Amino acid sequence: MNRIHYLFKDRLALFSFLLITTTLLVGIFAPWVAPNDPQEVHMNLRFASVSWKYLLGNDHLGRCVLSRLIYGIRPSVLWVLITLAISVGIGAVVGFVAGYFKEKTDAFLMRICDIMFSFPGYVMTLAIIGVLGVGIENILLAFVLIKWAWFARIIRTSVIQHSNAEYVKFSKALGTSSFKIMRMHILPVTLPDIIVTSSSSFSSMVLQISGFSFLGLGVQAPHAEWGMMLNEARQVMFSRPEVMLAPGITTIIFVSAVNFFTDALQIALDPKLTPIGREHRKGLKQRANLHRGEVA
Amino acid sequence: MLNKKFISLALLLAIALAGCSSNSSDRSDNTNTKKAGEPTQELVYATAKDINDMNPHLYQGSMPAQGMVYESLVENTADGIKPALAESWEISKDGKTYTFHLRKNVTFHDGAPFNAQAVKKNIDAVQNNASKHTWIKLSSKLAVTKVMDEHTVQLVLSEPYYPTLLELSMTRPYVFLSPNDFRNGQTKNGVNGYHGTGPYKLTEHKTDQYAIFEANENYWKGAPRIKKITAKVLPTGETTYLALQKGEVNFVFTDDRGTDSVDVEAMNTLADSGKYQIVRSEPMNTKMIVANSSRSVSPVADKAVREAIWYSIDRGTISKELFNGKESPAESLFSSNVHYANVDLKKRGYNLEEAKKLLDHAGWILNKGDEIRKKDNHELKISLYYDVNSSSQKAEAEMLQNTLTNIGIHLELFGEESTSVAKRRATGDYDLLLNQTWGLAYDPQSTIASFTSQAAYYHTTSGVTKADELYKKIDEVMIISNEETLRSLYKDILTIVHDEAVFIPITNGSVTIIAPSNLKGISFKHTQFELPFEKMYFE
Amino acid sequence: MNKMSRYILRRSLLAIPLLLVISFITFVLNILSPMDPAEVVLHAQGVPQITEDLLAETRTALGMDQPLFIRYLNWMLSCLQLDFGNSYVTGKPVWSMLGPAFLNSLKLTVISAVTVIVLSIGLGIICALTEGRWVDKSIRGIAFFLTSMPSYLLAALLVWYFSVKLDWLPTNGIDSVQSYILPVSVITISYAGIYFRIVRSSMLNHLNEDYVLYGRACGLPEIRITMRLLRNSLQVAVSIFFMAIPIILGSTVVIENLFAWPGLGMLSVKSILSRDFSIIQAYVLVLAAAFIAVNTFSDVINTLLNPKLREDS
Repeated sequence: MNRIHYLFKDRLALFSFLLITTTLLVGIFAPWVAPNDPQEVHMNLRFASVSWKYLLGNDHLGRCVLSRLIYGIRPSVLWVLITLAISVGIGAVVGFVAGYFKEKTDAFLMRICDIMFSFPGYVMTLAIIGVLGVGIENILLAFVLIKWAWFARIIRTSVIQHSNAEYVKFSKALGTSSFKIMRMHILPVTLPDIIVTSSSSFSSMVLQISGFSFLGLGVQAPHAEWGMMLNEARQVMFSRPEVMLAPGITTIIFVSAVNFFTDALQIALDPKLTPIGREHRKGLKQRANLHRGEVA
Repeated sequence: MLNKKFISLALLLAIALAGCSSNSSDRSDNTNTKKAGEPTQELVYATAKDINDMNPHLYQGSMPAQGMVYESLVENTADGIKPALAESWEISKDGKTYTFHLRKNVTFHDGAPFNAQAVKKNIDAVQNNASKHTWIKLSSKLAVTKVMDEHTVQLVLSEPYYPTLLELSMTRPYVFLSPNDFRNGQTKNGVNGYHGTGPYKLTEHKTDQYAIFEANENYWKGAPRIKKITAKVLPTGETTYLALQKGEVNFVFTDDRGTDSVDVEAMNTLADSGKYQIVRSEPMNTKMIVANSSRSVSPVADKAVREAIWYSIDRGTISKELFNGKESPAESLFSSNVHYANVDLKKRGYNLEEAKKLLDHAGWILNKGDEIRKKDNHELKISLYYDVNSSSQKAEAEMLQNTLTNIGIHLELFGEESTSVAKRRATGDYDLLLNQTWGLAYDPQSTIASFTSQAAYYHTTSGVTKADELYKKIDEVMIISNEETLRSLYKDILTIVHDEAVFIPITNGSVTIIAPSNLKGISFKHTQFELPFEKMYFE
Repeated sequence: MNKMSRYILRRSLLAIPLLLVISFITFVLNILSPMDPAEVVLHAQGVPQITEDLLAETRTALGMDQPLFIRYLNWMLSCLQLDFGNSYVTGKPVWSMLGPAFLNSLKLTVISAVTVIVLSIGLGIICALTEGRWVDKSIRGIAFFLTSMPSYLLAALLVWYFSVKLDWLPTNGIDSVQSYILPVSVITISYAGIYFRIVRSSMLNHLNEDYVLYGRACGLPEIRITMRLLRNSLQVAVSIFFMAIPIILGSTVVIENLFAWPGLGMLSVKSILSRDFSIIQAYVLVLAAAFIAVNTFSDVINTLLNPKLREDS
């Protein structure tokens, strides 16, 4: 808790955190927050500018831009978050099993991870969309398929480090069940690693989803999504550049907030403050950064 | 303040680095035509797709490009059939023998003479691949091609077929390729070159990048004044718009799928700048939604559903808002200026109450608390496919989707490449798709003939109640020459498809050209698939 | 050295089973696709009336009645000869479309990777040397901002400014050397923001190493210490370079579509939207193979540069 306290001393981090939470809440309660129906077409209001009823104006079909932005949080952020949670979940289970039982189980699971690593993320996603068809579900499915291996590998490393610790060996000697050891002793200490890794891949996933929707491979009409809104704005990008502003700025602000928060989180969970040792942390951070290496 | 400085610094650094690594120093103006004095007689047009396989006896290639390179025996114009590669022709009394007298001193781009042997070789090659040409009825009626002398050819039909000349005038397949390009006397397995007789010859082609056409100085109508035409592949509308603004391309036209890559508003901006002019043809086709009446599992097999959709399209708003009034609302498959199409048909305007009533009557009931109508526990869910490259089709689809939601129909939209949409049309793997009629030269006879063709609208029409009667009449209409009977047959055919609501019209489309304002001689052919580039010139 | 070459050999051999598994997955991928290849072939030939008999006949002709494993072997053998069959849509051999596109993407990728590295090292060093001061802070701030931007938005802004407003550069295509500048810049800006932070943190770690402290204490000129640091960061640069290549190669999709760059990204999106499964399959296989090759190579290079790594592999 100390560290969290430290984290919120950083004003920027606090602000980022508030922004992210607000976005999530607004997304969850979209039907109550959004001023208008995001799918209601008003052809007479095509490209109408800002008004009291439509605070951010209207798009090419006269739909309320603000409401679309708000509903867009769901696929752009919430669904990504859920996907992330699923991949971290699978990754954690595999990582724990591999790291704890080691030897054959470990070797086998890590070979599977190796196979997943040989498909570059984008290629895997394109392959899945290619076979199963265009749509956000398929992109998210692809994300889970690619990302779990990353988390598994990182969590495994961390578990191996901790399971060699004296207190774990001691519990084992006492005959405590494996599950309990994992839950009681290993999970709490690896949690920071999991949080850092997953939060740093969150922003890249948000950008990737928006990239795919921008290409017309993601969310399908009439559902709103930030990348899709940018894609629609793209048609009139140079004759009506202002249409691009709302979804563009929203995306930038949100992703920046996530990035800043992740960074602050990494500093808060600073290696110097933990007994785990610097080298390991550094490697972890580096890998997490590389993992984020795919931008949209 | 600081941040601003740094952003620009970072940008400059990145650009400088990028510049170094690709060791750029010379800045050649490759396509720009900024030289003072004599204007360069060059056009660079933007196309969303590569020109693809230019083999004129197959259907992969870009039609405007093929139209520049290849020619047919006769030409279809607003004033009827006119001579092209054939100077004159005679039709026998029984309507079964056509004798063509070929133009002399015409050569293919590779120097081979255009003569009766070349004509026979080409037509035989097309006939040898008959399964691909079922949509064009002439392919099934043509029995023999005879060489009478060096410049006379005779086509003998198995039965009289009055649209023969019309079908011979089409962009493909009855056009002529140098016999030297044939492989084993055939063209169906690919060809060795693309030498036609047309005003332009293909000189360079880089797949997915560009194709260059140069003027045929020996063209029989005289060398064209525009010396070079480049087709540049630009897949997205906003890139095209930028490229136009910059002068990297200077010509854009409605492509052969009826798609304008630049939207109406951007077009107006370009015209306002004074650098460009916009030229529109008369209405050439009908943009429509095609319903798969033969798919029995789909709600669109139900006539009432199709009619309800017809009533749900607000054509007035589409015309006014999406097209700035440049395309007029269409109330029937063919507009009344199309031959034989001036038929009195029931008008189905925008009327949601009527749509609801029809659905209720047909048993598609909206239960309390539901959002989608149901009949026998089947939800009223329909899929609609549109061309992903067409922003107007997407907007139309989304508008319709919203309207239909309000009356309890769930419409799912799928944006795909036009080739994929066309394939769905051929295989029947669709509920609804956005499409257009084939346009002036083809309407109504070829479009109607295609109702029976698997490759075209067979799945659309085969599910209607009077399908047998419809097909019988279509067969008849092709062989009858009596005006009176023809008129009544066409009327029956058009009435059946109209009543069955399988072709749901939206607007009447035309061909739009964006060209430099100093380009003269812009005109249109009697088809949406070709442009007479040879008549254009800069002043 | 003998030990080293043995390691290299072992590492390269490891790639082979991986390639086999990958190819099998790709093969199965095609079977999962909702289209019957026989039907597709018949449609591509334009056969108007497809009967059951005709389908069965075509299946035999395509060797589809054989056991799965035999089919996989046959497919694999033809893939090794770069024969991926014909495109479902254009009918042209897949490799004749994929090959040139691959080359175009590779050109873009390699040039971008070079600029990414140069920029990352430059900025990384500047930031490390000025750690905590305003130069460091503002560079990191800007990098944060730029990496938070969807790359297509960045691309649009750059095109609008440099191509239209200033009229310096072409908006799209691959016609001249200048065509590279904008796409390369966009990729560079997006990735350098990520990689320079790795360089920075690695530099910072070295700065705290004993030899630097010792050197400083002994009054060694600052310039020699910096040179030493540079040599160390070179190692990081090489390993990042090879890691970056496959990642960039796989993710040029958006950039290629925006700049009409006739590469793999454009081809793959076009194939997905026209449901051209034969191209998608070949695309996945070729890229995965390239990915494995580059990864193996970069592992070997890394080991050569840093023998310590070998111990824990």
